Amino acid sequence: MLTKSQAEEILAAALEKGGDFAELFCEDTYSTNLGMVSGRVETAVSGRDYGVGIRIFSGFNSVYAYTSDVSRENLIRVARDAASALNDNAGAVCKDLQMAVRASAHPIAIYPHQRDKQFKVDLMRLAYEEAKNFAPVIEQVRISFWDEDQKVLIVNSEGVFAQDRRVRTRMKIEAVAARGSEKQSGFYGPGAHMGLEFYEKIDIRDYAREAARIAATMIDADFCPSGQFPVIIDNEFGGVIFHEACGHSLEATSVAKKTSVFADKLGQQIASELVTAYDDGTIPNAWGSANIDDEGTPTQRTLLIEKGILKGYLVDKLNGRRMGMPSTGSGRRQSYRYAPTSRMSNTFIAAGNSTPEEIIANTEFGIYAKYMGGGSVNPATGDFNFAVNEGYLVENGKITKPVRGATLIGRGSEILKKIDMVANNLALGQGMCGSVSGSIPANVGQPMIRVAEITVGGRKGRE
Amino acid sequence: MDLMEFKDLVFRKGRAAGFTDMEIFQQSSGNLSIKVFQGEVDSYTLAEDRGYSFRGKYKGHMGYAYTEILDAESADRLVRDARENAEVIDEEEQPEIFAGSPGYQAVAGIRPGLRDVTPQQMIELAKAMEAKALAMDPRVRAVNYCLLAAGDSQVSIINTKGLDLQHRANSAIAYLSAVVSQDDDTKTFGNFAVIDDFVTFDVDALARGAVQEALALLGAQPVPSGSYPVILRWEAAAALLGTFAGIFCADNVQKNLSLLKGKVGEIIAAPSITIVDDPLMARGLYSAPFDAEGVATRTKTVVEQGRLNTFLHNLKTAAKDGTESTGNAAKSYKSSVGVAPTNMFIKAGEASLPEMIAQMGDGLVIIDVQGLHSGANPVSGDFSLSAMGYLVEKGEITRPVNQITIAGNFIAMLKDVVAVGSDLNFGLPQGSHFGAPSLLVKSLAVAGT
Repeated sequence: MLTKSQAEEILAAALEKGGDFAELFCEDTYSTNLGMVSGRVETAVSGRDYGVGIRIFSGFNSVYAYTSDVSRENLIRVARDAASALNDNAGAVCKDLQMAVRASAHPIAIYPHQRDKQFKVDLMRLAYEEAKNFAPVIEQVRISFWDEDQKVLIVNSEGVFAQDRRVRTRMKIEAVAARGSEKQSGFYGPGAHMGLEFYEKIDIRDYAREAARIAATMIDADFCPSGQFPVIIDNEFGGVIFHEACGHSLEATSVAKKTSVFADKLGQQIASELVTAYDDGTIPNAWGSANIDDEGTPTQRTLLIEKGILKGYLVDKLNGRRMGMPSTGSGRRQSYRYAPTSRMSNTFIAAGNSTPEEIIANTEFGIYAKYMGGGSVNPATGDFNFAVNEGYLVENGKITKPVRGATLIGRGSEILKKIDMVANNLALGQGMCGSVSGSIPANVGQPMIRVAEITVGGRKGRE
Repeated sequence: MDLMEFKDLVFRKGRAAGFTDMEIFQQSSGNLSIKVFQGEVDSYTLAEDRGYSFRGKYKGHMGYAYTEILDAESADRLVRDARENAEVIDEEEQPEIFAGSPGYQAVAGIRPGLRDVTPQQMIELAKAMEAKALAMDPRVRAVNYCLLAAGDSQVSIINTKGLDLQHRANSAIAYLSAVVSQDDDTKTFGNFAVIDDFVTFDVDALARGAVQEALALLGAQPVPSGSYPVILRWEAAAALLGTFAGIFCADNVQKNLSLLKGKVGEIIAAPSITIVDDPLMARGLYSAPFDAEGVATRTKTVVEQGRLNTFLHNLKTAAKDGTESTGNAAKSYKSSVGVAPTNMFIKAGEASLPEMIAQMGDGLVIIDVQGLHSGANPVSGDFSLSAMGYLVEKGEITRPVNQITIAGNFIAMLKDVVAVGSDLNFGLPQGSHFGAPSLLVKSLAVAGT
């Protein structure tokens, strides 16, 4: 990692050609990936990512350069190459760097390097056995294990000199059920901003069993009917609907350019009165948390929507300039290879007053999406789509039979207004969120909600 | 420390640690990408990437580790990690470090028309792309994505069995997405181009492709749910091929994750379907003379007139099936060796798109599908995807369609192909190494109103 005087020298080179702000992001990350198929470890790779990203602003313009050749000479050369894309004026002067030391809000007990690969493989085997032995119909189980120890140093010309160490781990379990040539898979992937003590705090076998149960249930499911129905979306990873249909459109990345449907709508009713939502990067040891964001700003809890009224956006430094708003500690990036931009951390709809039982009982006909798959959204139009991993028909206030192959499509701005019941069982689920600044860990979350009407795509045709 | 010094150090430490055969696989690249928004450079990224994968045989198992920095600490960690990783891996096959193929085809990776361009010229070109699109129609409200990127890359493999291979290539791409509005209706469409020569690059065609399609989609409405004959225009067909191409890879077949298991020699698609994997293709973005294990690459007809000829293999999957590698080993310096297609495409047929529309009579033309990473199951072949395009009635396009899903099964769909277009092209979103012509499919389930 760079010293203060090295950093000052590189920032000065970056500001030679008219920049008014310069930033260095230095990263030394050590990670391990293990993959197990059919109980055999088939992939085992560990490695070290090492590099520096240099960013320069001139007004609303920015340039970014990165390299893993971190010699002093090369970093100064790269800083000058990047600066040459800007105007030819004299730039800003770097302020004195203030070393910030703060206690971590996300304590780590067992660092990844403190246990060998065999320890991690044993944890995987525990999950494998549990899923494989769940039912004879489970033909295949895939387990992947990942841990990462990321050390970052962020220095900028405003005087910031901040360090953070993010330790994360996740185990992903995919169970495949087969009958004849038909296959269905079930998935669960718990993770946290935590060391290997995570696996002492949870019982990974619970998750393995659940992944197998989903696959075993869906293999015997009928195809989902298509049409427009009330849809009940369960808690935890069900929050992906909010993440995709709304969260991305609240990121300054699309708001600043006014390509988001929610641009210029602060203070307006954008959702049903039942909807209150937050993004909170401070939740201790949560998957999407960190002490500081990747621009060196402390993370915070940001109110996005209160009783349906739009209250806030997720803002990073550059888009904050465009919008005249301060950063919300939302500048994130996958690695030094990406310029940061506004991203979600742990984003969720707050708990409401209904119980899950009431929501089911009050639904005459509809789809119950117990587990959602992934999805995507076009931020300009708000059109989203996502897959239902485990779905059921609801008839006369009761969950009747499983249905598979359902896709939910719609427009975020419309769906938010159609949320007509919100339960009291808020929970968070882990995902990797992909966008312009790379793939980053993000929690989605919500209690069970009901949407009065969504277009459901399925293979069965119209009900 | 330079690579030769580092290699000598790692191989020496590796031998001392008990490794027999060892290899260093290096990837490096330099890239400049420029995004323009409202006449200004919105993002300007200068990238220098390099990474080094070490692998070696330890007690019969292959251990992997990588680093991005060449220093003594990394050399120690590579050897220690690779050994620990070799100790936990359970493979049935004895993997080998490869000594080399008898010969390698010449593949021209360097496009001379991309040399000697300055960053300033690239900025001007990117600005011209946006300006062209904005000026094309008063309903163009914005260009929400305008990207120009160019770079060069190098792959090299050096091992203790004497292999010493190197391949260099350069490439450039442009992408432009137009946002158009009329009354309360907003539509976007993106267009993509691989650039061979900056002088002859047709900026107008790139902008027109995005703007005209976005305008044509204005006023789009769903259609009633039901079964429809569908033309998957080449973009949608190529996206589906890219999503499901894993079913042709022997590693998936052997892990029981492909529906094509045991089907070599059988008819799996309509007779009009021929699928080729061509690593030697001129101008192919994934063209290279050798694969990630150093095996010479070659062109394969994977599906010939509906019949499955072969799976794609690397050395390990080939040994297991008692056959030869097809030169489809793939890896990045961060991963272990897998199997992947190179430039893969469905061969062009005879029909033009208007002829196919006339032949279909009534149905849908799908020009874009969304949600491939979630709404498509590569194991089962099932897909249910958000889609847009046009309604066709009595052989004519009558109106735009959106907010629908199309659903089916990839293998079932290949059997239901009625006609294959002459418009083979390579497109997004799979990195432009999957290509297809437009396909007329007998019927797909459509969910709309």
